[in-house]
This record gives sequence, structure tokens and C-alpha cells, in this order.
Amino acid sequence: MVDVSRQGVEITLTVNGRKHRAQVEPRLLLADFLRRRLGLTGTHLGCEQGVCGSCTVVVNGETVRSCLLFAAQMDGYEVETIEGLSDDPDLLHPVQQAFWDHHGLQCGFCTPGMVLTARAFLEENPEPSTPEIREALAGNICRCTGYMFIVNAVKAAAETMARKVPDGKSS
Amino acid sequence: MKPAQFAYCAPRTLEEAISLLEEHGYDAKLLAGGQSLVPLMNLRLARPTVLVDINRLNELDFVESGVDVIRIGAMTRHHAVATSPEIREASPLLSHAAGHIGYRAIRHRGTMGGSLAHADPASELPCIAVTQGANIRVDGSTGGRTIRADELFLEQLTTALATDEIVTSATFPRIRSDEGWGFREFVRKVGDFAVVMAASVLRVVEGRVTAARLGLGGVEWTPRRVTEAEQVLVGSAVEPNAIEEAARVAAEVVDPISDIHGSADYRRRLVFAMARKALQDAVGRLEVSRG
Amino acid sequence: MNHRKQPKLLGARVRRVEDPRFLMGKARYIEDIELPGVIDAAFVRSPFAHAEILSVDLSEALAAPGVIAALHGQDLLGRVKPTVCDAISDGWQSSEFPALAIDRVRYAGEAVAVIAADNRYVAEDGAALVDVDYRPLTPLASAEAALEPTAPLLHEGWKDNHFYRDRLAGGDPDHAFSIAHGILEFEVATHRHGGIPMEGRGCIASYDPIERVLTLWSATQIPHLIRSELAICLGLHENRVRVIAPDVGGGFGPKSHLNPEEVAVCLLAMDTRRPVRWIEDRREHMLACFHSREHYHKAKVAYAEDGRVLALSAEVTVDCGAYSVYPWTAALDPGMSLFIMPGPYRIRNFRCETSAVATNKCPYGAYRGVARSANCLTIERAMDAVADALGMDPVEVRLRNLIRSEEFPYTSVSGFVYDNASLIESLKQVCAEADYPGMRERQRIARGEGRLQGIGVVTFIEQTAPAVDEGAPINFRYDSAIVRLDPSGCATVQLGTHSHGQGHETTIAQIVADQLTIPMDRIRILYGDTQQTAQGIGTFASRTAVLAGGAAHNASGQVKDMLLERGAHLMEAAVEDVELVGGRVTVRGSGTRGLSLAGVARATYYHPELFPFGWSPLLEAAGTFDSGHGTYSNASQIVLVEVDPETGAVKILEYHIVEDCGRMINPTIVEGQIHGGVAQGIGGALYEELIYNDEGQLMTTSFMDYLIPGPTELPDFRVSHLETPSPTGPTGVKGVGEGGAVAPYAILAAAVQDAIRPIGNVFVNELPLTPERVLRFIDQAANGHG
Repeated sequence: MVDVSRQGVEITLTVNGRKHRAQVEPRLLLADFLRRRLGLTGTHLGCEQGVCGSCTVVVNGETVRSCLLFAAQMDGYEVETIEGLSDDPDLLHPVQQAFWDHHGLQCGFCTPGMVLTARAFLEENPEPSTPEIREALAGNICRCTGYMFIVNAVKAAAETMARKVPDGKSS
Repeated sequence: MKPAQFAYCAPRTLEEAISLLEEHGYDAKLLAGGQSLVPLMNLRLARPTVLVDINRLNELDFVESGVDVIRIGAMTRHHAVATSPEIREASPLLSHAAGHIGYRAIRHRGTMGGSLAHADPASELPCIAVTQGANIRVDGSTGGRTIRADELFLEQLTTALATDEIVTSATFPRIRSDEGWGFREFVRKVGDFAVVMAASVLRVVEGRVTAARLGLGGVEWTPRRVTEAEQVLVGSAVEPNAIEEAARVAAEVVDPISDIHGSADYRRRLVFAMARKALQDAVGRLEVSRG
Repeated sequence: MNHRKQPKLLGARVRRVEDPRFLMGKARYIEDIELPGVIDAAFVRSPFAHAEILSVDLSEALAAPGVIAALHGQDLLGRVKPTVCDAISDGWQSSEFPALAIDRVRYAGEAVAVIAADNRYVAEDGAALVDVDYRPLTPLASAEAALEPTAPLLHEGWKDNHFYRDRLAGGDPDHAFSIAHGILEFEVATHRHGGIPMEGRGCIASYDPIERVLTLWSATQIPHLIRSELAICLGLHENRVRVIAPDVGGGFGPKSHLNPEEVAVCLLAMDTRRPVRWIEDRREHMLACFHSREHYHKAKVAYAEDGRVLALSAEVTVDCGAYSVYPWTAALDPGMSLFIMPGPYRIRNFRCETSAVATNKCPYGAYRGVARSANCLTIERAMDAVADALGMDPVEVRLRNLIRSEEFPYTSVSGFVYDNASLIESLKQVCAEADYPGMRERQRIARGEGRLQGIGVVTFIEQTAPAVDEGAPINFRYDSAIVRLDPSGCATVQLGTHSHGQGHETTIAQIVADQLTIPMDRIRILYGDTQQTAQGIGTFASRTAVLAGGAAHNASGQVKDMLLERGAHLMEAAVEDVELVGGRVTVRGSGTRGLSLAGVARATYYHPELFPFGWSPLLEAAGTFDSGHGTYSNASQIVLVEVDPETGAVKILEYHIVEDCGRMINPTIVEGQIHGGVAQGIGGALYEELIYNDEGQLMTTSFMDYLIPGPTELPDFRVSHLETPSPTGPTGVKGVGEGGAVAPYAILAAAVQDAIRPIGNVFVNELPLTPERVLRFIDQAANGHG
């Protein structure tokens, strides 16, 4: 017998390495769950239509739109948000550091989604060309920068990450 | 905007999913990847009262290679379709087109079955299914049946599926070594919905086309093949004139929709351009594979 | 010397100090602020462009679970004044913009009622239950429709559907036209689009009934201006209204208005005694966040045989939508056009008629480069047309018409005083950077291969940090800063402006660091809270680096003088003999170490006995800077594009920019501003359009319909600089926030027209250049309709 739930769905999920149990209304979007229930407000809602990429988070290792998933679906899943990358401004992830060094952000609203997308891309493609970087970021809209400094930042991050000995912490 | 209220269930088996659909009828909606449905729910343009989440149906996430065909489970994600070596080997056209769906983060969630059942006229997989003549397996409370892709799509966002039926797999013919393929779409920006797309498969024996498939998406309310254009090609030598003529015929016989993304006239011109390029690509790939 | 001189920070490529919180997901945007007991608002919006409201029934919504309060227009009567924002101009017709429509709606998306509930989901449920009975009226979906003699009048007591009409003339245009070698006439149209920041609008209102203080957190560029108008609308003392703008996810102009939603949310908070939050969603943003850029120009140009433009005559019509908005008025774009149209050229005979037309569309507001992009399009199209008529190179025709450096200060025919600029220098430099002759050669080769490549070139001058001494309800020619040195010798700077991506926490600190000769990490820049800062105006119109920067420079200069005075006293030296170097007050040429700034500060605050009785123990100063007439930035740009003759798609191959924004505080931030501005300009030129149908329904309410260029649509930008210091301010800085967005319309229209040339001559005069429009121009060219 399948439980058809109107009120609350019981979920257990891991967010940034921490386990959470929660009861969620079926319609609660993952983005709102992260923001309102867990206080992880680095995930931003820019369109709720799946286009802008501001709400990008990582679910079971893959980038997804958290505005197009319900928290109720996340039982047993692992979620990573921008807050999971670093909690120390002196120990930023190489992608964050490169965005900082290369002026890859202005208002910062798209930045968490952009950083998570870029990181996932670089993990898969450590030596990307400029067109590949642009293509990889095509699903993330930035209204401030015109993208060029973001692209430069991703290139620079690729170089740093290539120099780094993988220690499990830097990625 | 935020979605309206609904009841949620996540069945673990196909049987459970079907019985839920049977029980709730029109009020129920399947949630597969959700990359088309959830935007509509967020806008409250879709307001299902029961959402049947089939993401736990692992039995629908598979790829099965046959001699002449490849069968792909409905819950196979677009990213898997685009990158699976097995699928690429069987139908490079299909994997290539799947790589054009939305953005990477969308492809991680969107599914083969969801895309076919959603029946967006501008989406890639329905166009490829129709072009290649895929067979769509659906299962429901009274059993299963197979629907030819060109009979699945009735109109925009409407399929021949009954309310208790689920797309469970799609079977695509393998593209043979004597066949070339092409896929072109015109998008205003990368990852955006295509205004017009064209897909082609040409079989060439001794310099002559012996079989041709030309499919279009984004042009009419459902994806379609253009048999009139295919007929121009069959029996003709592989040469630019024939391709140009086929593309011209395709542009002539379609009855394009008109919306803010393009007038009917504009779409007609894109049909010519995309069809010509998709056919040229097919010829080009054949030559490469022989060279 | 035993102390090091700190290198000048003005001009240094300093990494932004504000970035870590954004990179780590720890910024606080409006939606990230959680107040105890907060409830969420959702608006009921009109589905009709024009209708009478017969009744509004909130009862079902109020009965729904989780719904806490609801308001509609009638509830506001006698409690809230509508926003009235009038230009000071003969014949101006005033509109009343209510927070919630009262008996009539004038655009699709206008707020009719508001629901407050436990959360946004439930508030939307409630909004869906509000029953509004409308009687549809004839929708006026275009300026043309609104000006039909039979058109209904949009506002009570109006004579016709013009908010505003005005004219300006200089020189003797009639004579110039009569002696011209040739006369050209053309029309241009730029359709509606907008700034569309990634974060929508939003606010949280909270009312303290004991202190009678209303606090509004708002994603706004102009907290002080909002406070003033809110106090008027709600009938509150302004000292009991506090507006806080937290981190704001992009402004670009759309967030420089008082929004009707904000007024309604404040009222809900006062009624419910609970904090009320409204976070705009993307659909309502597209429908109801004020639009921009809808210009229609008719132009007539007289030119001499040598390519000099002798006279310009123009008619400007702007479709300003339903209401005049605060603080800009509906005269914003059309009024500006009167003055800026002649641009960087030595045109001495000019006539311009301008008008703001009221229609049943979303009201019209400010957007990066107000009126400039359309006017740049018109004057640059004129230059291109003259070049074509005479068979001249477009660069050459510009060189013959541009104002030369030795002519500054230059009073334009419309009365603007250009302080200085490097117009010809920038054009020559961009030609050199782009290898213009080589680019032409490559174009020739491409054409030989049947490829449609085109080149566009544009030069513009732009008034930044402007003053509006006549016509506007608020003259925003100054801004403010308070600089406060604490006992440890660190400085806190409170700005009257706001930073929402421009990096002012860095650039203003660079200015103050140079003044006080202390490292940037000892300086903290605060802004955005009307309760903590001096009266300010806000961030828009490329003004903050100039005005808040100038104000911070002045205020920190005053603090520096106080330090010198006190330091001199402590060292028993004459104040003329001391200087501030490397964070120390020293006696010039004495070779002694002097006193640290912290030492002087500590003595000042904690040992007043060391100073003559009556000396202030405070090391703080409020400074302002007034731009007078503004200061003028300029730039030249060259673009190379390729047009696909089959699809009409335009691909940008190269984009070169030479920008002169005076002295640069931080070249990296300047470049970021230019990139972003050009990107938005390209968006408006090629992709973005808010399309209304004939019923006044907006057809582009999502990012699937309204296309914002992504990383794959935009090129690498090649930027280089000229630095002609502004003579206007203490820092030599000119504004740069908007400049990038000014030229892309004109340059891409020119480039596409040039690309099509092998097919035939055509005059590209309508934007955005969607692929379908480009094909239409190609067809016209092929059919000889150029």
C-alpha cells in the first residue's frame, strides 16, 4: 500500500554532510526547504521556472535546479549547497577564490549557482577551453558581469585545481 | 509563484504507480524528472491534486541493447541518454539530440518517458522518436501496449495515453553503418527551446539514397516526418540539388505555428535551413564513416 | 623617514572587500531576512489591461486557513494617499497611482488586492480566492492607440492621453535645412524591455505601535527617497519611518522607485502588527516591475557636402504606460531626450519635440542609461546615414563632427555644459585597438566568401552624476557621507547611496584610505539604512563614485584636518607644519616618527583635557558633494558581427571599447561595469523584448519568453581606457555605471546594416534585432526597399 500524503511527508536527508529529519508539506520546493527550514539562504530563487540557475544545488553529486524539485522527493538523498563549500573566508574553494580574484561577481545573487555549476564542470573537465566554459555556464544567468570575468575566473580555477594535490578537501 | 496544494506519493513499483493512477484518474499526474511539469505547477498552470512521483521506480531506469534496436527505460535521464556509450553507439542521433535539451542541470533530472509524455512540440526527444520511428511502450491497469511515436502525439501537450497509463520505455531502431544522420535546431540562445529543429536519417547504397527520414519539431503542434521531402530523396543521387529540393519541399508542405518566437513564415524559412543542414550532415557523416 | 608611505589606492586594481559573503552564500538579501512572526504577502493582479472594478470580494480568501489579512483598493481610501509624481512643466497632466487599484485598473498586472498569510504558498492560495468583478474597457495597448481621437481618456480630467509634451530649439534649424547639401529623414523604434535584475523586488515592513516607528526593509537603490514618499503616502512623520536596503541582487534602475506594493505591505504591517514580507516572483516582476526603453523617434538631418551635420530635427514619443512613477515622473525619458540627442557632435541647429504618452501598459521607469541608448541610436543612425549618402567611411564622418578636446567646456545646442571629454581620441584609439583597416580587410575577404560580416562604430558622451535643475520633482545633484574615526584609528564611513554590485565597499574605501593614509582593512563602509546615514539620494545615474565618492573624500578630508590640528597641538607644532603620512601625523621634514593616527584619535576621545577647552572631542564629519552640472564620460566602441542570411541570427565576433570615465578608482571594477553595461545593451539590441498583444496582455512573462543573453551569446570584451580627469570634482572621477549600455543599440544596428550591404541597401531602424526582424531587413534589402 502506497502512502498518499496530503499533509506532511517524512524525509531524512543529508545536507552539507549533516543529517536532517523533517516533515514537509508535499508542495514545499527544495529551495524553500533549504532556505526557510534549514536557514541555508545562499540558494537563491531567481525565476522558479528552471531557467536562471540561481537556485542550483548539488543532489547526489549532480547539479540540479532546487526550484524544480520538491523537498518531499529528497528522502535519502544527499544535498550540497554553496554553504557546504567553505565556512572560512580564508579557506575558500578554488572556484570561489578565483571568482574573488578575477572579479567574477557583482551583485552576487547568481554567484552561488554559478560557483556550484563551475565546480561540477571543472571536476569533470579539468582543462576546459573558453567555449566549453561558456557552454557549461549557459544555464546560469548573470545580469551584472557580462560573463567575461566569470569565464576568466573559471579558467583560473581550473589552473589552481590542476596544481592542487587532491586531498578530498579541495573539491 | 509557488505550486498549489497536492497530495504526494512515491510508489516503489510500476504496479503501485498504475493502481494509483487508476484510483485518482484525471486528478493525478505523474512526476518524472519534473523539469517541464514543475515550472507549470509553480505558475499554477498545472494543478494536479495527486502527484505520483515515479522517481523511485528503478525498474524503469535501464538501457537494453538489441540486435536492431535499443530499448531505453522511461526513467532514463537525458544526461544518461546523451552520454551513455551504449545509446551513442546505437543511435548517435538520439544521444546528440538529448545533449541539446535545456541545460546540464535540467538534463540531470529530465527523463525520456517524461519528455515523451509531456509532448512539447519544441522538445527534442519527441522529434527524434517520430523521425526514427520509435515504438513507445506504455503500461496501464488493463495491460500494456506499444504505440508508434507518430501516433503518440495528438496535439500540443497531448498524447494518446489513457489516464492510467505510464510510458515505460521507448525502443529506437539502431542507426546502421550504411546510414547517416543529422540534427539541427535553431535556438535564440543556447539551452532555450528550439524555434525549429530538423532530424534526418539517410541510407545510401552505391551513391543513391535508398531510404530517407526527415523529421521536424517546433514547427507544428506535434513533431512530424515530412514524407513528401523524403520521397524527393529516395532513389536520387546524393547531391546538393536533391537535398536543397527536399528541404524546399519540406518548407512548402508544413503548416507552421505562429507565436512570439517566430511567425509561420519565419518558421517555414527555418524549416528550409534546418532541414537542408540536417540532410547535409547526414550525407557528411556517411562520407566520413566511409572515408 | 622611519615610516612608510602607503601607495596611492586611487587607481589600484584592489580586489573587492565585500566578496566573501557573496561567494559563501552568506549575503543577506531581502528574502534572507527572517523576522519573528513574519507573514507573507501575495498580490491579486488585474488580468485586464483596462477595466472598471465593479466589486472585490475578499471574504472567501479571508476564511481560508492560514490567511491572516487582506486589503483591496477601497480599504485604502482615506488612509493612504496615492503616489503623485509630477514633472514641473506646462501642460503636465497628473496621474494618481494608488497602492491598490480602486475603481479602475490601467494595466494587466496592476495590484488590485493583497493577501497576507502564514507563508507565501498559503498567501497565493488566498489570492486565488479573491473574487474581483471587472467590466473590461477598451485597452490602449500602444501610444498610437492612445492618441487616436476616439481613445478613452486614461485619467480623470485629462484633455488627451499625454502626460507631458515639451519642445526645445537652438540655433536656426530652418535656415540650416534650407542651405543643406542634403537632408535625410528616418524613423527608429526601440521596443520595451527592462533591467530585470536576477533578484526581483521585495520588502518587509514592520510597525512598532509603541514607538510609532515603521521600518521597511526593501530591495531598493534609493532608501532615502522611499522614506520621504512613504511618509507622505502613509501620513507619518518622516523621522518615524526607517528604510533599510540590505544586500540587493542587482538594481539597474528598476529598483529605483517607490513601488505601490511597498505601500500596501506597510499598511498590512500596521494593521496586523506583524512583520509582513513580499517577495516578488518572476512573473509579477515581468508584469509589474516598471518597464523601460520604448522610444519612437522621427528624425530629420541636414548635412553639408563634407559630411558635417548642420541641423537635427526630431520628434520623440515614449510609451510611458499607465502612471507617472516616483521619483522620476513620466517625463524621465522624453524630457532627457530633449537635452541629450545631439550627443558628442558639434550640431548647432536643433529642434526637438517630445512627449510621454499614457497607455494601458506597465508604468515606465528608470533603466541604466535612461533615454541615452535610444538617443544614441538616433544620432548615430544619422551619422551612418550621412556617411552612406556621401559614400564616406563611418569613422571619417564622425571625426568631422565630433567636438574636439580643445573646445571643452562646450555648451551644447540644448544647453548642456560638457566639462571635458576625449571624443576624437577615443575614436582613434578604438580604431587602433580594433585594427579598423584590418577589420575592413577581413570583412572584404569574408564577403568574398559569401559571408555577411558587418562593422559598427559609435562614439558617445554621457552626463554622469547629473543635476536636474529644472522640471524634476527632486534634484539629485548631490550625495552625502559621514566619516567617523574611532579611538583605535579605524574609520567608519556611512554613505547616502547604496551598493548593489558596484563594489562601493571597496572603491569608497580606496578614496578614504588615500585621504587618511590608513590601510583599507581599517575602513568600513556602511550604507542602506536611513537611520544611520546622513540624508542621501541613492545609487543610479552613474553617480555614486562621483558624488558619494566626492562626499567621502570631502568628509575624510575634514577628519584629516581635525587630526592634523590635534596632532599639531599635541606635538606643539604649527598646523601648517604637520602632515599625515602613512597613518601618522608628523612634523614636515623633522625626521621624527610623529604620532600615530590611533594615538591622536585616542587622545581626542579620551583625553579632552589635552586640548584647549571647547575643542570638539569628535573626529567625525559629514560631507557632501554637489556635481553642479554633472560630469561627462565618453567612449567609442567598434563591433564586428556576422549575420546568418538563412536564419537572421546575429553573432558578435569582436567587441572593442575605449572608455574614458575620468580618473579610475579601480580599473577592474570599471571594466566589470562596462562589461555588464554592454551585455545589457546587447540584450536590448538583440534579445530582450516585452511584447504586448493588442489587448494589452504581456506575452513575455517568463525567462522562456523573455530572453536574457547568457555566456554563450556574449563575446569577450576588449576594453581599454583613456583618463581625462573630471574638472568637476575633488577626485577627478566620472561615472561609469551606465556607459556600457548606451552604445550597443546603435552599434549593432549599424553593424547588421553593414553586414547586409552585399545583398542590398536597407536602413536598420527597429530593435531588438531578433533573427526574424533581421530576415525582414534582408528581404527589404534584396527587394531594393532600402
